[in-house]
Amino acid sequence: MAMEVTQVLLNAQSVDSTVRKHAEESLRQFQEQNLSVFLLSLSGELAGEDKPVDSRKLAGLILKNALDAKEQHRKYELVQRWLALDMGVKTQIKACLLQTLSSPVHDAHSTASQVIAKVAAIELPQKQWPELIGSLLSNIHQVPAHVKQATLETLGYLCEEVSPDVVDQDQVNKILTAVVQGMNANEVNNDVRLAATRALYNALGFSHANFSNDMERDYIMRVVCEATLCPDVKIRQAAFECLVSIASTYYEKLAPYIQEIFNITAKAVREDEEPVALQAIELWSSICDEEIDILEEYGGDFTADSDVPCYYFIKQALPALVPMLLETLLKQEEDQDLDEGAWNLAMAGGTCLGLVARTVGDDIVPLVMPFIEENITKPDWRQREAATYAFGSILEGPSPDKLTSIVNVALNFMLTALTNDPNSHVKDTTAWTLGRIFEFLHGSTVETPIITPANCQQIVTVLLQSMNDAPNVAEKACGALYFLVQGYEDIGSTSPITPFFQEIVKSLLHVTDREDAGESRLRTAAYETLNEVVRCSTDETASMVLQLVPIIMTKLHQTLEAEKLSSDGREKQNELQGLLCGCLQVITQKLGASEPAKYAFMQFADQIMNLFLRVFACRSATVHEEAMLAIGAVAHATGPDFAKYMPELYKYLEMGLQNFEEYQVCAVTVGVVGDICRALDDKVLPYCDGIMTQLLKDLSSNQLHRSVKPPIFSCFGDIALAIGENFEKYLMYAMPMLQSAAELSAHTSGADDEMIEYTNLLRNGILEAYSGIFQGFKNSPKTQLLIPYAPHILQFLDSIYMEKDMDDVVMKTAIGVLGDLADTLGSNAGSLIQQSLSCKDFLNECLSSDDHLIKESAEWAKMAITRAISV
Amino acid sequence: MADEITPRRDPIKSSVGNVAAQRRRQHAITVAKERREAVVRTKRLCRVGVGGGGDDQLTYDDDGDGGDMMIDAEQSILEAQTCSAVQDLQLAMLFQGKGAMQKRVAALREVRRLLSRSEFPPIEAAIKAGAIPLLVQCLSFGSPEEQLLEAAWCMTNIAAGKPEETKELLPALPLLIAHLGEKSSLPVAEQCSWAVGNVAGEGEELRNILLSQGALPSLARMMLRNKGSTVRTAAWALSNLIKGPDPKAATELIRVDGVLEAILQHLKKADEELATEVAWVVVYLSALSHVATSMLVKSDLLQILVERLGMSNSLQLLIPVLRSIGNLVAGDAHVASTVLVIGQSITDSILPALIKCLESEHRVMKKEAAWVLSNIAAGSVEHKKLVYSSEAVPLLLRLLVTAPFDIRKEVAYVVGNLCVAPSEGSGRPKLIADHLVFLVSKGCLPGFIDLVRSADIEAAKLGLQFIELVLRGMPNGSGPKLVEKADGIDAMERFQFHENEELRCMATKLVDKYFGVDYGVDDE
Repeated sequence: MAMEVTQVLLNAQSVDSTVRKHAEESLRQFQEQNLSVFLLSLSGELAGEDKPVDSRKLAGLILKNALDAKEQHRKYELVQRWLALDMGVKTQIKACLLQTLSSPVHDAHSTASQVIAKVAAIELPQKQWPELIGSLLSNIHQVPAHVKQATLETLGYLCEEVSPDVVDQDQVNKILTAVVQGMNANEVNNDVRLAATRALYNALGFSHANFSNDMERDYIMRVVCEATLCPDVKIRQAAFECLVSIASTYYEKLAPYIQEIFNITAKAVREDEEPVALQAIELWSSICDEEIDILEEYGGDFTADSDVPCYYFIKQALPALVPMLLETLLKQEEDQDLDEGAWNLAMAGGTCLGLVARTVGDDIVPLVMPFIEENITKPDWRQREAATYAFGSILEGPSPDKLTSIVNVALNFMLTALTNDPNSHVKDTTAWTLGRIFEFLHGSTVETPIITPANCQQIVTVLLQSMNDAPNVAEKACGALYFLVQGYEDIGSTSPITPFFQEIVKSLLHVTDREDAGESRLRTAAYETLNEVVRCSTDETASMVLQLVPIIMTKLHQTLEAEKLSSDGREKQNELQGLLCGCLQVITQKLGASEPAKYAFMQFADQIMNLFLRVFACRSATVHEEAMLAIGAVAHATGPDFAKYMPELYKYLEMGLQNFEEYQVCAVTVGVVGDICRALDDKVLPYCDGIMTQLLKDLSSNQLHRSVKPPIFSCFGDIALAIGENFEKYLMYAMPMLQSAAELSAHTSGADDEMIEYTNLLRNGILEAYSGIFQGFKNSPKTQLLIPYAPHILQFLDSIYMEKDMDDVVMKTAIGVLGDLADTLGSNAGSLIQQSLSCKDFLNECLSSDDHLIKESAEWAKMAITRAISV
Repeated sequence: MADEITPRRDPIKSSVGNVAAQRRRQHAITVAKERREAVVRTKRLCRVGVGGGGDDQLTYDDDGDGGDMMIDAEQSILEAQTCSAVQDLQLAMLFQGKGAMQKRVAALREVRRLLSRSEFPPIEAAIKAGAIPLLVQCLSFGSPEEQLLEAAWCMTNIAAGKPEETKELLPALPLLIAHLGEKSSLPVAEQCSWAVGNVAGEGEELRNILLSQGALPSLARMMLRNKGSTVRTAAWALSNLIKGPDPKAATELIRVDGVLEAILQHLKKADEELATEVAWVVVYLSALSHVATSMLVKSDLLQILVERLGMSNSLQLLIPVLRSIGNLVAGDAHVASTVLVIGQSITDSILPALIKCLESEHRVMKKEAAWVLSNIAAGSVEHKKLVYSSEAVPLLLRLLVTAPFDIRKEVAYVVGNLCVAPSEGSGRPKLIADHLVFLVSKGCLPGFIDLVRSADIEAAKLGLQFIELVLRGMPNGSGPKLVEKADGIDAMERFQFHENEELRCMATKLVDKYFGVDYGVDDE
């Protein structure tokens, strides 16, 4: 039944594009016309020992792609298609795949192992292919090393693809035994040992039971630690990757091994090749992650019960760990600051040092200070840079009490270094460190200010001077300025920045115009800093912010007039447009917040909207997103007069709501629809048919990213609040959608944290929709239209209350809905509420909440219910 | 999945652009969410008209402005209904046959429901229709409990109306007060105290009438009951009743047997809601009556208040507690020396509690806390040292620069008090030099000079006094230089032609003495 596909597969890789296109087309047709034969033929090709390696490899690749895809909906289709295939065909394909595992050709068996994992990911949850794991395990005892290697790789991929709950413990035990044996030092073949080590990495998620057993765990740990000493560098690296994963997955089991772990990581960091040393550092970073999480959960209150206790590994290792990390800081690469993707020992070491500081707080300071003092004035730039970097890294974590006096001394030194140090790497790190100082030790919550009227001017001057330095240094100086002004965001009516405002704005605009502003993300940093300067400014400088409007508008106008550009040039142009739209968004938001400034700003509104509409003609998701955000700000500032822009804007709203692929654009547009509803109120009515149609389509689509759905529900509420009883005609569509989403989100049993978080977002969206609809209908003669929906809504409230996993936001919104229901339906709801299972308990719980927002909503709900019941 | 993926974390040293853009978007979402909530909240505040649900809640008499969505047409319907309900009540009162009592209660309940409805209950209509005499009749002794309850409830809501409407209740007051007594059931007594509280809240004239009719002892004895809501209502009514300005009522209250003990016990053990009402009673007691203040100070009230202050997070409770503490400390000069003894645990715990209030977001809390501190700092040298060495100082210094004017002024009193020793006899106050030097070195001088510039005479005087301390007390004669540098001369010279003579003299004297012809000569 299978067909000969060798030639067409080879042609599909031909250098001749005509031949290649023709071949691709035939493959596509073949696939569409007869999927079973197509897949069968490919598996036959893959298994054929007489076939060329290139055609075998491509056959496997196409097979793999026929089983899985990145997009969720596509993946779902593929899975359904496979499950629908004829059993006999599938059996043949799977036999071919298993057979290929024994092929001596590396590319063939390696591709086959990936395809097997994909099939397993579909079939094992369906209780199909039960013999797979058994037959793989029987391969382990085969003599040829390559079979062993391929089998171990397959087991690894399988563990990566398949969820642990579909494999029973007995099989898990066998897989682990096979894998750990393969890793053992007795295994002479390095390829086998490497495959086993990588397989273990994936199998760790399956091994909870085994890690709870002291003997098994000891054995696994011994083998992994031994593998970190293997002569083969790849195996050492893979073994360290296993250790990293163990450290985060089984943190609470580490205590007996921590000394040994320290010894081998210290050796690796100091002596081993970079990829291995990086993993050794990563291990300590991961332990920090765990301890930071645990301590955060304690919330400083050690009586609180956390699932996992903190073992304070970092604190104990501190005296040895910190010197080890400090050594790495001296191993910088010459031009690492110019390469955005750079990652090396020094960077990893500093990052880890920062995590250590966050884990242990004050204790790190005395261990790092001598290093800083010793190196900061050395003639070798590496020493000065390392010292500065160390200082910058430990600024988050220790208490201000511990740091303030040191920072007060260091500040002057840093400012001088930023101006005078001959080395640009040192200046880069110095500017970054200043930014960290301002981020963590400056602001309204800090008790002892480090920035005073005495030094503020000097700081600003030095930072602005550095804006003329090399792009990477200027970028870091922007960052420092960003945090400097951010510290004054709650300053009140008079800001110490005011005297420098004009100069700062001028310098930042100058930076954005620099020829080399495209390097080191300098232009982005300059615009974002400008935005923050505007956002944190006070009324004193409103007139200067207003003057920025025409300047930014002109820049945006210029980008739209630009001649034809190369694709690279267009990309840069788009980036710039995004930045300019973002800047206008922030300015609009700022000026829109105060009456006199808003009045002055309105003179530009027509022109700004005009520019935004032209921006939509460009094809770039980021630009659309930024323009939409800015339009939301304009709508808020303009109020009901925004109606005049709607005829032209509407089609772009519709386009945005249809943008499934770039779902962020869709999400932002949904938010802007909400802004427009609030600005226009019932004047939005003429556009609601179209908007609601799009929103309902979005909800029914399985292509749209799920994160957009909660805001869409909230948007229903926005629309209902704006148009009131006119929402009537959408009830028959919106209510069933809300109802089914409510049913789905009522229960979360067995979900992971991420899922629970999403479910709560969804619940909140649904509840905001209900609130909006009830409040929209209030006082209208049509409230009785809502009565039929009340029982279900009350049931939904009951069930989320019973589930006990809602967050505070949902609690507040939910109890508000209860009040809205009573408020709008009045006596009609009285008896329903009295019958409700838990609404009284729910209300009481909210009334006694510590969160005053919840309490406030609950008090309101109580009043509304009392009124409804008493009539 | 084929290639090894080495997971890599973000470097600690990263570009500001990424974080900033992310934050900016998040900010836009947050803003939208806040605006949505604001819209919902506004809609919720709009009351439903007659067509919708009723409003059965009791109305505290307060001056809050609710929404006024009541449409005229609806109001007139409501009034018509009220009128007929009162007529029904009249008929029911005349009816003597079987079920007469049920009839009366039902008619009363209808009136009560109408009076509980909407933001603007139809009180005037009810009065015009002749409700008051009927309600008084319903309160007659020996009436069934339910009837008393409903009638008192009607009066509670009428008492929450406009002043002239409240006055209509005059004929009912003796009966309402009578039902406060021990012979009444708790619900009836409580309902009557509610009505009396609303009447007392109306103003001095009605308070005096209630007092002369003996409302106080009855309400005071209700404080001794063991039902939380009864005590709470009584305390609330009492705080309305003793508001003064005549201190007599407050003095009378504290002298009622058992009241002081009850206050102490409730403040110590009661829930926050009840404690709040009791604390308000203490506020008025301590603000008005010396007798009460001296009795309260001798009890362990202050200790209890300080504990509450430290423990609670309820703003409603903290405000009266804090104000009571302030009243006590300010009202009795001996408190600082006899109660807040250095080394006693109460003295150690009051400072952290006050610091907590200073750190609060709430303006009133900050101000009151600063006021209390200024009174403590006005005490002995030891008290000054205690405040000076506490964590309050950095906070105060910051507030002195950043806080709104009224808080700054209170804070300035604290800081000023820290720098002078208690005066012995008349004459210029003696300095505590090391406090002054330290506080000035931390930059407190500009804050005072700012006060000098303010239009508030009291604040300006305070500012001038502090400048005088600096000029006189800073070592090596460095005072004048400091004042000059902080633009103090300019600030003082503004008083040259000021209408307030005292300030004018103070300022002129200081300028002449320290910045006269000789000033600056030494520098050459």
